[in-house]
Amino acid sequence: MMETLILSAAALLIAAPTSFAAPPKAGDPAPLFEAPSTAGTIRLADFRGKKPVVLAFYFADFTPG
Amino acid sequence: MQAFQADLSRFERLNAQVLGVSPDDVETHKKFSASLGLRFPLVSDKDGAIQKRYAPGRITYLIDRNGIIRHKHTGPLTQEILDKKILPLVKELQQ
Repeated sequence: MMETLILSAAALLIAAPTSFAAPPKAGDPAPLFEAPSTAGTIRLADFRGKKPVVLAFYFADFTPG
Repeated sequence: MQAFQADLSRFERLNAQVLGVSPDDVETHKKFSASLGLRFPLVSDKDGAIQKRYAPGRITYLIDRNGIIRHKHTGPLTQEILDKKILPLVKELQQ
């Protein structure tokens, strides 16, 4: 019984949907985006062929880091 | 973001574009930028759609000029990490 429970729990964990199915890694193309910014609309594609981009995700403004 | 501003001229010399991304709206970003004197854009990812295509949490990607991810750093960015890790990698991309 315990074993069945553990197995069911494991199956649920594996099947749980995640919004970050396969985060891109080094060597992968960077997912393109277009979004508003403090400098107008930013399109990642606009930097292609021009300059490298350091893309830094952070939690929220007015927090350290 | 403070660490980036301190090092921004070095990124600029390497012709690299720094972009900060958080779910805050543009108005909040503008106030935050002004309060810290940030000179690089902050992108508004209000519904989290951009971050969903990358990875969760505090994470920094270095993307080369061909649009290929060259490095992924997980965790907060300190001055030390920028100086010893990120900037040298950007420098490598220039070669």
